[in-house]
Amino acid sequence: MKDYKRYIIAVSLLTVSFLYIFTSNETGVARIFVNLLTFAGIYGLAAIGINVHFGWTGLLNFGHAAFMGIGAYTTILLIPHALGREGVVIETGLPLPLAVIIGMLAAALLGLILGLPTLRLRGDYLAIVTIAAAEIFRLLIRDFEDITGGVYGVIQFSEALQSLRPNFITNLATSIEVSSSQLWVGVITWILIIFTLLFLNRLQKSPWGRALRAVREDEDAVRALGKNAVWLKLQSFMLGASIGGLSGILLAFNYGTLQVSTFVPVLTFYLWAALILGGVGSLAGPALGAVIFWVIISGTDSLAEIFFENANGQQLAGVRFVFVGLLIMFTMIFTPSGILGKKEELLLDIK
Amino acid sequence: MIEQLGNGLLLGLIVAIASVSLSLLYGVTRIVNFAHGEIIALGAVLTLFFSSSPESSFLYLDRFSPLGSSFIVSSIASILLCGLFGALLELCLFRPLRKNNYGNVAVLVITIGLSIFLRHIFLLFASAKPASYALDLQKREDYFGIQLTPRNVQVLIIGSVVMILVGLFLTYTKTGRAMRAVRDSSELASVSGINSDYIITLTWIFSSMLAGFTGIIQGVINNVRWNMGFLILLLIFAGSILGGIGTSFGAMFGGFIIGMLVQLSVGLSFMDGHTEAKNAIALALMILILLIRPQGIFGSKERIS
Repeated sequence: MKDYKRYIIAVSLLTVSFLYIFTSNETGVARIFVNLLTFAGIYGLAAIGINVHFGWTGLLNFGHAAFMGIGAYTTILLIPHALGREGVVIETGLPLPLAVIIGMLAAALLGLILGLPTLRLRGDYLAIVTIAAAEIFRLLIRDFEDITGGVYGVIQFSEALQSLRPNFITNLATSIEVSSSQLWVGVITWILIIFTLLFLNRLQKSPWGRALRAVREDEDAVRALGKNAVWLKLQSFMLGASIGGLSGILLAFNYGTLQVSTFVPVLTFYLWAALILGGVGSLAGPALGAVIFWVIISGTDSLAEIFFENANGQQLAGVRFVFVGLLIMFTMIFTPSGILGKKEELLLDIK
Repeated sequence: MIEQLGNGLLLGLIVAIASVSLSLLYGVTRIVNFAHGEIIALGAVLTLFFSSSPESSFLYLDRFSPLGSSFIVSSIASILLCGLFGALLELCLFRPLRKNNYGNVAVLVITIGLSIFLRHIFLLFASAKPASYALDLQKREDYFGIQLTPRNVQVLIIGSVVMILVGLFLTYTKTGRAMRAVRDSSELASVSGINSDYIITLTWIFSSMLAGFTGIIQGVINNVRWNMGFLILLLIFAGSILGGIGTSFGAMFGGFIIGMLVQLSVGLSFMDGHTEAKNAIALALMILILLIRPQGIFGSKERIS
């Protein structure tokens, strides 16, 4: 497929998606839009992290929820917040930018810890270990309630971000009747996506990026040229993990509360569905995939009504995930390169 | 710690049988099957559906009603259906993928999609509430200092017999040896006149039946939940990796150790008040094993890199 054809398909899919939202909702279209684009942006950013792992380096990371979670928990616990069952208020804390950087570093560190034992081994071991790590992370957060708030979560931390909100965002939100805090998170998310993509674009064309692609194509050749392939893989793993951490922080600010149930293993599968749909290995693919993915997901809710009268939350989630599963399978079987990906860029054999 | 020994033996047995089935499938087909846990859950959910009395209302889809057959008949029917399901997976999904040269990673991602799909079908079908089989409640009794219900003892005996039969099957029957031959080298096996497509289909059936059996005994000992497959899948991976992925007896051993360890760790002093974290111990051990002896206890080196 020619490049421009891909973009035509992408643009028409986006148009159809947005038209669908406009026609299927009579009221509050702006609110639905801001909500959708914010979530899609955060998931897109997270999927960009997985793309660095899988698309660039061929690493199978199925525990992205853990990277997102560790970024979110580290950052939020470092800024002023209230915690746990009794809501213990902690008023002192680091400034937000510093806390975000530490959160991203924590995610990169987790990447290092998980990568060290597994990146020397065949690819599927990393898949198993990352999926296990996500589960360990979830169990530990739930269990150590005095540090993490456990199942009661962390609240009252949004002020650190919302106090930075410029006036014109507040005014815009009032005039189109959307939540000003969510609009602010959404704007920041898409700005961060653009910066991340520009940064990754530079990186991809640098000698380091070329070496990384070489690792994906032929690890032995890279070794023969005197490069340390394992260290290159580790660097890529840490980079993707820290992007994941950043998206986790945004996700927490978008919800306004930090709950361990946000970072369940299935979160990772949402991201994979978005990534595969958008196109593995392409720069903008994950973000595009996330937007289209969210439109599809919001469409499944009306489908659930066919099967169940007054479907409850669990049934809605069930129908949603049945579709996520089918989406992953069918995209992988029929168009493994997704909307924007290139077939020749796609590495599907374990090295 | 000793009070957990009975539970440890039971979970050890479950994880051991499940690890053998996963490991055999991996060895013969080279598929890291993330949907294996869902076949385990399928066995449990089908048995629940067949054996519960028609009045019980655990189903979300109320146009179905449970059949109310006897537990033994239900279990056997479920195990057979699991085998059939395995065969269908191979014939309708994995064989076409293999013939079209889909890479390992593509197939792995497809099994993940399959697992999410199946798991949430169970959620929609059987609801989010844990359900139990219609079996009478039994008291725990003392067997050589280990506290178990009589039914749990029966489960232990039946499970051990199944495990021994599996071992004998793999070692002494023609089919079992053919499976191991394909596992060790599919080229050499086909040169010696083994039809590898046939053996792979048999492996799918055999492994799925074993998985279904595991699900049923897991349901007897604890309860039936829509996501039970995913919960136990990580323990199975840990067990298979500990024993050496792709080995049968290693997986059996590794699975048993992992299951025991998960239950026994509940009794450790630093685990006081942290019962949720018991699975984390097994998974952390798995990561540690990968760090120091990635091929597992019984695995050979060439399988891993």
